[in-house]
Amino acid sequence: MKTRILGAVALLAVIAAAVNALLIVPADLNQGDAQRIMYVHVPSAWLGYLSFGVTALAGIGYLWRRDLRLDAVAVSAAEIGVMFTAFAIWGGMMWGKPVWGVYWQWEDPRLTTTALLLALYVGYLLFRRLTDDPARRAARAAVVGIIAAIDIPIVHFSVEWWRGLHQRATFGSPDKLLNPAAPAQFVIALVAMVVAFTLAWAWLMIRRYQLARIEWQIEEHGRLGRISAARRAAVAPQAPAAQAPAEEAAP
Amino acid sequence: MTDWPFVLAGWGVILGGAGAYTLLLLRRLRNARQASLAIRRAADEPAPRERE
Repeated sequence: MKTRILGAVALLAVIAAAVNALLIVPADLNQGDAQRIMYVHVPSAWLGYLSFGVTALAGIGYLWRRDLRLDAVAVSAAEIGVMFTAFAIWGGMMWGKPVWGVYWQWEDPRLTTTALLLALYVGYLLFRRLTDDPARRAARAAVVGIIAAIDIPIVHFSVEWWRGLHQRATFGSPDKLLNPAAPAQFVIALVAMVVAFTLAWAWLMIRRYQLARIEWQIEEHGRLGRISAARRAAVAPQAPAAQAPAEEAAP
Repeated sequence: MTDWPFVLAGWGVILGGAGAYTLLLLRRLRNARQASLAIRRAADEPAPRERE
């Protein structure tokens, strides 16, 4: 019931924030209406970071506690993170064409490291399919998830460390967050969208976690079924062999 | 006004994609719950007698 309420609140928040960002907030003086894409691009990028951070932390937790519930958290966050990172890249491309004049530039460190981040976590999801032993899969995936998370700070600070097309971080420092250069109306619209998207992310995480737990139970049942079938098959050939002499002896 | 196709493409794919993922997730969850329920029901049924 609480999850349903969270889902309804998240949906209403996204609708309200979207109406505000698309219809109420004025167009940017320099970037025009293209700037409105930032209201979905920035929250998507934030949720990509958050998701992969959760995957890495859950991976560390799994290696420490060996609790498969943490693996369920890790895979849920990774799947949702892949979606939001893909959205961030798409939103960035749609903004880049009218503002920069190009959809994509491989020389830009932020763009390239973000593409790498997406590839790493798609790889993480594919890597999980290599084994059906839950404990082995969870341990291996945890290591991959932790190593892949090294790219998160590289993506974030790439705009500070190297020169490229991309502007510097939107929420780069607490000072920047408290004293933003943009007018309050733009900042409120962006923060509202970030909050609304984060609520939706929380709801998606709960539902995806529930799915991961049920899938694990079904998988475990199937595994136990296969083990008992293999045991029966190992015993079964002996039975006809034992019965054969009796059948031959019968008139 | 020329930027609006980009705005709509950006927002459309992101909100539409999130909506599609949500529907797909709910469908996967419903199917998994049904499968889990079927397994539990099968486990609760009395085991068939072995052939003599």
